Amino acid sequence: MTLSFFDQFMSPTLLGIPLIALALTLPWVLFPKPSSRWLNNRVLTLQSWFINGFAQQIFQPINQEGHKWAALLTSLMIFLITLNMLGLLPYTFTPTTQLSMNMAFAVPLWLATVIIGMRNQPTHALAHLLPEGTPTPLIPILIMIETISLFIRPLALGVRLTANLTAGHLLIQLIATAALVLLPLMPTVAILTGALLLMLTLLEVAVAMIQAYVFVLLLSLYLQENV
Amino acid sequence: MPQLNPAPWFTILMFSWLIFLTVIPPKILAHTFPNEPTHQSTEKPKTDPWAWPWH
Repeated sequence: MTLSFFDQFMSPTLLGIPLIALALTLPWVLFPKPSSRWLNNRVLTLQSWFINGFAQQIFQPINQEGHKWAALLTSLMIFLITLNMLGLLPYTFTPTTQLSMNMAFAVPLWLATVIIGMRNQPTHALAHLLPEGTPTPLIPILIMIETISLFIRPLALGVRLTANLTAGHLLIQLIATAALVLLPLMPTVAILTGALLLMLTLLEVAVAMIQAYVFVLLLSLYLQENV
Repeated sequence: MPQLNPAPWFTILMFSWLIFLTVIPPKILAHTFPNEPTHQSTEKPKTDPWAWPWH
């Protein structure tokens, strides 16, 4: 019984079309390309504000070299937040629940930051493996610990996003099923479960936005260390 | 867990990066912001005080 709740995350197909393909291609109609008009419509203005504000916010602590990543990280933010939010609609497929996709973004981008650090400033990048003021006997073990924590970063990045969104969707499905099943039996409890479901949905909206932001923020921090 | 099925992993990787690299950056980069950001200077601007009557 429990296993069937995970079926919502299987890569679904409809008439032979993998729905993940539709879920990845169709959301971008919500982001029209701005024309050369001075004043755009409301949707475009709001998107512009968001993009500009986000880029300023993320790149403020990074030095000039890191600003080359502005287009990439802003695109990633729009990508993730759109996929997360649209996944909360009923019957939509959320590609970010797939570990494959999140690791596909986390590993190359993290690796890029590490390689940039090792190429441009190898001493500085390696110095991150040893915090300042470490007592001498602790140095070997601390370097091992820091190396492990370095390599765990992409894993954590991918799994964090996957697990948060999967857990959220699973909870929504479970509580919705509970509310539905309880409705003929104990209507009051069903209504309370419905209220719980409403609050959970609001939480999931917040989680969708926060998780996308955290993913990009952490990548920007890894960039900051290495650039 | 169906997400751990390794069969479509590479396809998903390729497809999502394809969309991420081709579709989204042109839309993002097309947003232009007409005002240049200015540094806030610590000096107060040298202006003459209001020396003429209101009307």
